[in-house]
Amino acid sequence: MIQSIIKRDGRVVLYEQSKIAKAILRSMEAAREGDASDAARVANDVQTTIEDKCRNSVPQIEEIQDAVENQLMNHGFNESAKQYILYRANRTRARESNTRLMKTIDEITKVDAESSDMKRDNANIDGNTAMGSMLQIGSAGARSYNEVYLLRPEHARAYREGDIHIHDFDFYSLTTTCTQIDIEKLFHNGFSTGHGYVREPQGIQSYAALGAIALQANQNDQHGGQSIPNFDYGMAEGVKKTFHKTYCQKLAEAVEDYLDEDDKYEAVVALIEATERETGERAQLKASEKFEKAIAAQLTEEYKIPAENVVHLVKRARTRAEQRTDREAFQAMEGFVHNLNTMHSRAGAQTPFSSINYGTDASPEGRMVIKNILLALDAGLGHGETCIFPIHIFKVKEGVNYNEGDPNYDLFKLSCKVSAKRLFPNYVFLDSPFNLQYYVPGRPETEVATMGCRTRVMANVYDPDQQIAYSRGNLSFTSINLPRLALESGQDEKLFCEKLDGMLELVAQQLLDRFEIQAQKHVYNYPFLMGQGIWLDSEKLGPYDEVRDVLRHGTLSIGFIGLAETLNVLYGHHHGESQDMQHKGLEIVTRMREFCDQKSQECKMNFTLLATPAEGLAGRFLRMDQKRYGKIEGVNDREYYTNSFHIPVWYNISIYDKIRLEAPYHALCNAGHISYVELDGDTTKNVEAFEAVVRWMHDAHIGYGSINHPVDRDPICGYVGVIGDVCPRCGRREGEIIPQEKISDLKKLYPEMPAFQGIE
Amino acid sequence: MIKENIEAKLGQGIGFERIRRITGYLVGTMDKWNDAKRAEERDRVKHGMTSNA
Repeated sequence: MIQSIIKRDGRVVLYEQSKIAKAILRSMEAAREGDASDAARVANDVQTTIEDKCRNSVPQIEEIQDAVENQLMNHGFNESAKQYILYRANRTRARESNTRLMKTIDEITKVDAESSDMKRDNANIDGNTAMGSMLQIGSAGARSYNEVYLLRPEHARAYREGDIHIHDFDFYSLTTTCTQIDIEKLFHNGFSTGHGYVREPQGIQSYAALGAIALQANQNDQHGGQSIPNFDYGMAEGVKKTFHKTYCQKLAEAVEDYLDEDDKYEAVVALIEATERETGERAQLKASEKFEKAIAAQLTEEYKIPAENVVHLVKRARTRAEQRTDREAFQAMEGFVHNLNTMHSRAGAQTPFSSINYGTDASPEGRMVIKNILLALDAGLGHGETCIFPIHIFKVKEGVNYNEGDPNYDLFKLSCKVSAKRLFPNYVFLDSPFNLQYYVPGRPETEVATMGCRTRVMANVYDPDQQIAYSRGNLSFTSINLPRLALESGQDEKLFCEKLDGMLELVAQQLLDRFEIQAQKHVYNYPFLMGQGIWLDSEKLGPYDEVRDVLRHGTLSIGFIGLAETLNVLYGHHHGESQDMQHKGLEIVTRMREFCDQKSQECKMNFTLLATPAEGLAGRFLRMDQKRYGKIEGVNDREYYTNSFHIPVWYNISIYDKIRLEAPYHALCNAGHISYVELDGDTTKNVEAFEAVVRWMHDAHIGYGSINHPVDRDPICGYVGVIGDVCPRCGRREGEIIPQEKISDLKKLYPEMPAFQGIE
Repeated sequence: MIKENIEAKLGQGIGFERIRRITGYLVGTMDKWNDAKRAEERDRVKHGMTSNA
């Protein structure tokens, strides 16, 4: 007779047969076989075996569990035995996971970020700070829980073993990735940040300040990048208001000066408003002859200012208002950039991951915004540092800014000059067929915009009437380890395709499972994103409504990394090396895209294919594959796998060929893509070459591209450009001292030199 | 006096900042990059303007 058993931690507890029967019944239910009396019979036999085995000792829990497995099989309940084994394995994993979690937290607490790769997994979090560590500890806890409690065992295994990577896994049960925030709509009538109500802004300075706040507020509701798709169109409203206000002031001042009197401001404003009503036109940046004449006539009548003086007076007021508005716009843009590099979000550990898209608003106000945001980017931060955020994206469009004679061509040229110095803006090409198909002139919401590293949202199978960029984003994404599939297939192409199909199906199911968790949230779970109507159609919901239906506007994305290594495994070459391999590469990626399209139709959900940004993943997959297969030349003998469809970074290829070969993949990867090339030397001295590369990208139908070149800075003398071993301005090497006399000389030559405080 | 001392050693131990694009975005200094990405950045080759195809 068994009286007691020994648990894993050594405690002795009373033996209860009913507990065993219950566990057996649970396995039977999962396997859909047997019933309670079967369970009791098996439990009886378990007891008998244990009694035989442990006549003179107290049985261990593991012995009882082994007996349960055996007896289930003896009774022919094979499926139930399998379920029981799975259950045991899960419990074991949960226990191990707790131990692992404690070890992880131990590393976060005690090890410096410099010696802990884990703490540098996300380059934007400073793992050495209090809030950074708190975020990492929370993240480790969430991962641990999500893996054991939320994932199906087959998904958990695929994730754990590196067949797939579930991105932002720590947020699995919490929120969605990213959104394009339509600021025009948001600012109209004002909004609430959750900590207070903000009135509709009344000038460019407050527009810019609130733009930054909107990005910050939404960042607290989502884990991915926050973006403004219509920065120029949205901010233009602010410029309009500032100009109007300044025009009133300047005209009043001019009248006061002429009359040598004070207190004419209100009278002049009344006169301007009356003229606006009469002419049906507003005092705005674009001068209207009709309006100017009417104003002049009014002033002559009201204040007896002679006609020959009044024309000059009105013109001067306008010029001054223009200059003032331009200055205010610059300051506003400068403030915006400073804010986004300093304000914190996400538990205070990171600045918002922000993007702004602009370039196509050809109104005078929009042009003023574009010019000044570019100039602010060019100027850099307080000591001339290159701004890390926001990501600037310039939208290139023929007829708007691409060719000489286009209204914003000058701004495109300016963008090249700035990007040659500051690495931003990146370029999104609206003329590429897969972007052009959505483009409707005069409807900026149909212009493709990007957010985060590269995310793009346009097609909408859930609601084909709303194939727009605004107010939508990615819900979640999971990436496939392509080289692994190739390694598992030997050089058998057919087997590889079968394995790929299976993996795509597994990932699609996992994305749908995650969607189910996200869909059950309510509007009150996302006070800004849903509560303030940022997300498409969320304004139609009440605070207690489920977000399921509106979330369907978002995308579920399947990503991949290591196409180059995959081709190397299967065929011995990658797509940079031969046209045949390019065909093979395109075949593989087309297969994945077709799966996504088919799944979209099947589920009426937007499944899209992502060229995965492989920041942390590049190393994770590779290390696991090295462990599993050993080092294989040309496949995993480096420290990282190549990003998505990129030609390997170490492969010698011309800019032109790299662009030409990567462009067709942009058309296939509809969830987002980016290509970049590495330019040598100081591009600020060769803006023509820089522009030529942008034009190649446009003409080759790249979707989204950027040009890399070294941007170095010496914090001592403030030089920005290419620095080899020696700073070209002050002549020092890293760590060297500059003599006092030299500093004085340099300060005369470069007044903008930072005032160094000695401690940084 | 203290200020002079600081200025006398201006630059001591201070390195250069090197800003690079990581995936689509920029990272301020490479100190915070993870090991795999540091290796990737190290391996990047410059692409020439003329086609070799």
